[in-house]
Amino acid sequence: MSSRSVSAIVSCAAAWAVPGAGHFYLGKRRRAGVFFLVVLTTFFLGLLNEGRAYVADSQQPLSYLATFTNVATGPVEVLSRQATYHRLVYRLPEDENSPEAMALLGAMRTKVKSVTDEYGTTYLLAAGLMNMLLILDAFDIAIGRKS
Amino acid sequence: MLRSHFLNMLVFAGLVSIFFGFLTQNERRERLKVMAILFLSMIVLSLLIAYAMFPFPLNAAR
Repeated sequence: MSSRSVSAIVSCAAAWAVPGAGHFYLGKRRRAGVFFLVVLTTFFLGLLNEGRAYVADSQQPLSYLATFTNVATGPVEVLSRQATYHRLVYRLPEDENSPEAMALLGAMRTKVKSVTDEYGTTYLLAAGLMNMLLILDAFDIAIGRKS
Repeated sequence: MLRSHFLNMLVFAGLVSIFFGFLTQNERRERLKVMAILFLSMIVLSLLIAYAMFPFPLNAAR
């Protein structure tokens, strides 16, 4: 495996794990600092505004994309999942009448009742989308497509 | 919690503008230009859309 390939894999993994870390690894330290602050500020504003993390629901195909976007924020994303459902869960059970599904939906409804829930959820999704772009940008820099 | 709609809009537009300014530009001057254009576009377009929606009823379903 060439050094560029290794660099691309490491920078993408680092960018997912910590926002901006991919750029830091590639020597773009100032940018990395700004990205770290911007993405985490967006994420924590989402938490502060009672945003909710999505779970994949087979009856709502778009929920898969939203869940993927949440996960793209990196490991810090577990905080939003913990705040929404009080545990780590990524998928709604098939049987929506099961006690587990009822508990998850109940936790979600509690969040939805908050005045700022829509804003918070948007902030959380925006943080995930930003981090996805950072991963792709780190990849482009690592393979020499972008300076 | 940020309960103000306008403050939320300003904060969100600011964060997104800074992000895209640093993501797309390398030169400081160009970066600031992109940030200003993005920020103002988001604010002005949002206010225009809000103004256009003003005559519509809030609870049409009722």
